[in-house]
Amino acid sequence: MAKNGKKTTDMQFAICGSAGDGTIAAGDIMKRAMAKAGYKVIAFDVYPPEIRGFGKCISRIRITSDQVFSLKPLSDVLLSLDDSHAIPHVGEVKDYGAVVYEDMPVSVMAEGSHISGHLTSTQLPYGVPFRELSERVTSSARSRNIVAVGYLAGLYDMPRQVFYDTISDKFKTKPAALTRINIEAFDAAFDVGRNTFRLDEGSLNPPQKKSSSGDLVMMSGNGAVAKGCIDAGLDTFFGYPITPATTIMERLAIDLPKHGKRMMQTEDEISALSAAIGAGYAGARAATATSGPGFALMSEMMGLGSMAEVPAVIFVSQRGGPSTGMPTKTEQSDLNIAVFGAAGDGQRIVLAPTNVEGCYKCAGKAFEIAERYQTPVVVLLDLYLSNRYEAVEFPTKNPFKANCSKPPGKLKKGQPYHRYEITKDFISPRAIPGDKGYRHAITGLEHGENGRPNDTTHQQMSEKRHEKLNGVLRHPGIAMSKRFGDKGKVDVAIIGWGSTFGEILEAMIVARAEGITCTAMKVVLLSPLPMEPINAIFEDSKEVLVPELNYEGQFANLLMGATGRPVTRLNRVPGTPMHVEDILEEIRRLAGKKKGRGSLAAE
Amino acid sequence: MSGETHFVIIGTGGAGSEAALTLRQRDPKCRITQITGSKLPFISRYELPRVIDGVNSWRELLAHPPEFFHENRISVRRNSWVDYVDAKNKKVLLRHKEEVSYDKLLVASGGGGYVPENLREFRPLMNGYGSFEDAVTIRKALPKKGHVIMLGGDMTGLDLARTLVAAGHRVSLVAGEQLFWPHEVPSKKREKFISVLEDMGIKVVLNQKVTAIKDVEKGKYARRVVFEAGGGIDGHAVMPFCGLMPSLNFMVGANVDIERGLLVNPGLKTTNDSIWAAGDVCQIWSPEENSYLFYYGWHHIKEMGKIAAINMTGGKKKISTYQDDHLYINKQGEIDSPYWMYK
Repeated sequence: MAKNGKKTTDMQFAICGSAGDGTIAAGDIMKRAMAKAGYKVIAFDVYPPEIRGFGKCISRIRITSDQVFSLKPLSDVLLSLDDSHAIPHVGEVKDYGAVVYEDMPVSVMAEGSHISGHLTSTQLPYGVPFRELSERVTSSARSRNIVAVGYLAGLYDMPRQVFYDTISDKFKTKPAALTRINIEAFDAAFDVGRNTFRLDEGSLNPPQKKSSSGDLVMMSGNGAVAKGCIDAGLDTFFGYPITPATTIMERLAIDLPKHGKRMMQTEDEISALSAAIGAGYAGARAATATSGPGFALMSEMMGLGSMAEVPAVIFVSQRGGPSTGMPTKTEQSDLNIAVFGAAGDGQRIVLAPTNVEGCYKCAGKAFEIAERYQTPVVVLLDLYLSNRYEAVEFPTKNPFKANCSKPPGKLKKGQPYHRYEITKDFISPRAIPGDKGYRHAITGLEHGENGRPNDTTHQQMSEKRHEKLNGVLRHPGIAMSKRFGDKGKVDVAIIGWGSTFGEILEAMIVARAEGITCTAMKVVLLSPLPMEPINAIFEDSKEVLVPELNYEGQFANLLMGATGRPVTRLNRVPGTPMHVEDILEEIRRLAGKKKGRGSLAAE
Repeated sequence: MSGETHFVIIGTGGAGSEAALTLRQRDPKCRITQITGSKLPFISRYELPRVIDGVNSWRELLAHPPEFFHENRISVRRNSWVDYVDAKNKKVLLRHKEEVSYDKLLVASGGGGYVPENLREFRPLMNGYGSFEDAVTIRKALPKKGHVIMLGGDMTGLDLARTLVAAGHRVSLVAGEQLFWPHEVPSKKREKFISVLEDMGIKVVLNQKVTAIKDVEKGKYARRVVFEAGGGIDGHAVMPFCGLMPSLNFMVGANVDIERGLLVNPGLKTTNDSIWAAGDVCQIWSPEENSYLFYYGWHHIKEMGKIAAINMTGGKKKISTYQDDHLYINKQGEIDSPYWMYK
C-alpha cells in the first residue's frame, strides 16, 4: 500500500524467446506503453552471447507505481516465446506467479521440451495459442509477439489505448496496413486475455497521479547518453561499433545531421579517439563511445589528451572482460583502466552515472567539464545501464552550458600567448587554433608554458595537470556524490558506483525497514574522488560495504587507497546485475557482526 | 521395482492423488507424472461450496499443500490435456503436442458434469460447477438473496444447494431423473426425502420437463427456464446437476474395452496389461451383480486409487464391490450422504 492509501503496483514481466521471435520488440512495446500509461518502468534486455544469430533473448520489465531502482530477482510473469530458452528461467518466477506460453506448437515435441512440464506447484500456467491467433488475424505467424503482448495486456487489464499508440509509433515508418493488422492482432489477444480467469497473484493497479506536468519518456541508458550529447551541443562524433556502446553511435548518426552536425565511423578505436581529440583541439565538442577492448586501444590517445590538455569525451560501456570477454554480459571491470590506463601520471576525469537520468546528465556535463578543465573525460557506463530502460522525465529547459572554456584575455602588444600558462587555479586560458593573435603549439612531449618541448618543467606541469582537476568537485549542476538513507552515525554504509547503485538503494531500503541503521552513497565522480563526503561517510559508519560487478574490487581498492581504511568487498562477476538479496544479506551480516550477532561475531 | 519405472497418471483428483502417494510409498525410486487439464493442483469439488461461503483464495482449498508434490517427487503437468493414448507404443500425446512415455498408465480422469442431450444447446447459458473458477463465477453472478435454478439434483448439486440456502440465496430444484444421483432411492422413500429438501429451504419442482433456457436481458433476473407444459422459472443462474459422464474420449483407440466407462476387473486393470483405471471413469466388474458397475463417492474413489497403485506395483488386491452408501436423514432432520463426508 502506498502512503496515501492507494493500492500500489510492483509487477515484473520477463519475456523470453529466440532471436527472431520479436522478443525484444515485445518487451519494447510493453515498457513504452506502460510508461505512457504513467507507471514507473525499469527494463533490461539480454541478447544472445554471440551477438548475431539465433540465441536467447530476454526482456525484463518492472512496472511500479512508486519509484524503484532495480529489477527484481524474481519476476511475477514469465512469457515464453520459445520454450527451449525459457525453461531454464522458470525458476525465476515467484511463487503464485504466472508462466504464459504457446499451447499449440506446430510440431510434436519430445517429452520435457514443453515448458508446462517444468512449473513448480506454486506457479500458474496459462497456455495460449499465440501462433493460431496471429495467423487467424494477420494470416501470418509473424505477429506472435504482438499477440503475446496483447494477451498479457488483457490478462492484467492494462489500458488499451497506450498500446495502440505505442504500436502505431513503432510502425510509423512502415505501410499503414502493418500498423492496422498488428493492432488487430493485439486486440484479438487482448480479448482472450481479458476473458481468462486469473489465478496468479499479480495485479496492476491504476498508476498514481503524476506530481509534475512533464511527460515520462521511456529511454535506455545509451539513448539518454545520445540525448545528453545532442542537448550539450555535441559537434562531432567519431566511433567504431562495439557492443554494448554501438547504439550511442547509431542514434547519433540519425540525430546529429538533424542539427547540422556529423557522425563519422572511423576504421578503428584508435582513430576514433584521435579524431575526437583533433576535433577538440579545433574547438569542437567531440566524443567517441566504445567498450573495454576499444578503450584499451585508446590508451595512448588518452595520454595525449591529458598531456596536450585537449577536451574530449569518451563513453565507455563496460562488458565482461578482459579481451573480447563476454560482449553481451555486464560488468564493472574497466574502472582501473579508466582511472589509471595510460602511460605516465595522466590523471583524468571519470564520471559514472547510476541510472538512465544520470546518463543524460553525465553525458551533457562531461562536455562542460572536458572543456572547462581541458582534458579527456571518461563516462563509465556498463551493459546493464546502457541497455536498461527507465521512464524518465527530462527537464523542459536545456540544463547544459554551451561554452565552458576559459577564454584567453586580451594580449598586450607583443605579449606572446602561452597555451599552458600556469594560473591560480592551474587552468590555462584556452585559445582555439585560428584565433587571431593566439598562435601556439601543442605536443605530447612534456613542455613549458609556451607549449615548446621542455623536460625541465615536468614537476611543475605534472602539478598543473593534477591540481587543475580539483575544481571539478564543485562543477555546477551535477552532484559528484550523494548520500541516501540514515543520517549521522550508522551501522553500515554501502558505497557504490554505476548501475549497481540501483540494487544498493533497494537493499538499503529493505535493510532500514528491518531496523538496520544504514546509509548508501553513490559516487559519480570516480576520478578525482570527492574525498570530503567519502571521508565523512567513513567517519559515520561502523562498517563500509562496497558491492561491485568485478572480481578484484576495483572501486574498493580505490577507496581503501584514498582513505587508508578497510572496507568489506562484495564482488560478483556472473555477467548479470547484482542481486539485491546478496547485498542485503551482507548488510545484515555486517549489522549483526557489530551488534554481536551472526556467524562472524562468534568467530 | 526398478528405479526407472515411469508411472503416468491421467487425472489429479481423489483417485489419481491417492494412487500417486501410494506409488511413491511402494516404490521410492520410481518416476511419477500426473497429468491434468486443471491449472490448479487438486481441489475437491466438495470443497467448492466454501467459495460461496466467502473463501477467496484457491490456496485455502487445496487438497495437498504445494510442497506435497515436491516432497513426494510427483511431477504434475497442469493445464495439459490428453489428446490420445498410444497404447502400442506406451505414449500419451498431449494437446500441446508433447509426447509422454509411460511404463504403466493409470487413467483417473474422473467425470465431467453430464448435461442431457436436449439441454446441451443451452450450455452457454448455464453455469458449471467443476472448478474453482466455476465457483467464483457463480458467486459473482448472484446478487444478495439471489435465485439459483438447479436442474437434475445430483448429490453434488444438493451439497451446493444447502450452502446457497445457508448463504441467504434461494434455490429452485427442477428435479430430474438424476435426483439424489448416484444414490438409488426407492420411490417410497423419495417423497420423504423431497419433503425434507423443502424443509431445508430448497424449492423442488417436480414433473416438469425443461425445453429451453433463455437469456433475460431486462428485469431482475438473467435467466429463464422454460417448461414443456408452459410457464417457467426466472433466476440469476441456471446450473445443471445431472450426474457425471466419464471423461475418456482420449482413450478411444487405445485398445481397451469401453462401455460407458473404462471396463476394469476388480484389480482395476483394463483389458490392456499396462493400463489401469480408477475413480469415476471406470466401471468395475461385479461378480455379485454379474455386470460392470460404477462406484461413486469419496471413500470409493480413494480406495480405487490406492488399490490401482498397489496392483501397478506388483500387488494383487481386489476392490470390494459391495456398496452400502445410502442417503439418510441426519439428527438435524436434514438429508445427508456418505458422499459428503469426503475427508
